[in-house]
Amino acid sequence: MNQQLLHFAQWIESLAWSRKLHESYYMYNWIESTHVLAISLFLGMLFFIDFRMLGLTMTNVPASRIAARLHTPMMIGFAVMIVTGLLLYFAVPVRVTQSIWFRIKFVLLVVAGVNAWYFNRKMRESAVHWENQDRAPKPLRVSVSMSLMLWAGVITTGRLIAYDWYDCYRVQSEFMAWAAGCLME
Amino acid sequence: MDLLVYFEWMESSLLGSIGKTYGGVYAIAQSVHLMSLVVLGGAVILTDLRLLNLTLKDIPSETVVSEAHQWFKVALVSITVTGVFMAAAVALRLYYNQFFWAKMLSLLVGVLFVFLVKRPLLCSAPHADLSPWTLKLVALASIAVWFTVAATGRWIGFS
Repeated sequence: MNQQLLHFAQWIESLAWSRKLHESYYMYNWIESTHVLAISLFLGMLFFIDFRMLGLTMTNVPASRIAARLHTPMMIGFAVMIVTGLLLYFAVPVRVTQSIWFRIKFVLLVVAGVNAWYFNRKMRESAVHWENQDRAPKPLRVSVSMSLMLWAGVITTGRLIAYDWYDCYRVQSEFMAWAAGCLME
Repeated sequence: MDLLVYFEWMESSLLGSIGKTYGGVYAIAQSVHLMSLVVLGGAVILTDLRLLNLTLKDIPSETVVSEAHQWFKVALVSITVTGVFMAAAVALRLYYNQFFWAKMLSLLVGVLFVFLVKRPLLCSAPHADLSPWTLKLVALASIAVWFTVAATGRWIGFS
């Protein structure tokens, strides 16, 4: 698996536009800036939906209405975040593929996606019974708390990718080398 | 007035030493800074999209503005605390970084704009009594200022 991921990353790195993107000071930095701004839009909207479910804001407005109205700007932010995130990966594929932080971030993203699907399904099924209450029912609040923690984890691990503490050129335990997928420096 | 002496003091302070010595603590402060930026950005976007009548149209704008402002203040305090901690560790480098000064200036403009222009205006009368163009202009100015704060902040790391 690690070997296949590394081959894929090396293939991307061999493409001319991957190198050009990495070497372009302005393009790379603008993509990274746009990525951060898109995260602000996506998570800004998501956090306000979550805060409403926890009874921390706009409790006099039906919760499902907040979720429905903020869905579009949130998904615009999500789309831009994914596109710019992919571009950032394509610019530095080999190092990122072998980053333990990127791998943890990816797992957290998948879990956050499953949690969001579960939350949406449960909310649609039951909103009519509680949407005017201050807080969502407990199972939904648990899901919302998980959402906040998972996305905090995504932000933290995303930030940590920039640090080389566990990069493959460093001496590290066998487990860490395997988890990071270190096959070359 | 040359501020260099304050930046030198900051970097040699206990705060600066902690940030430089413990990379993990510095990274966590960076993450909290980013999460606070997300909440602040969310509060600004929520308010401004409502003032532009682009979302939450069926919720009174007074409600949206006032509720989002509570979170704006929380995020601003958190951004300031984590920002000072992060700055202390690399104070001298920041002193010579033009994007740092651009960010500080735009942040000052943003904070003054919120507390001296936006809030007083939006609290002065029911929004229905204010000109829709005034509300839209305030929202666009707010988006422009906070976009500049975020963008210049990110570019500190590139220069």
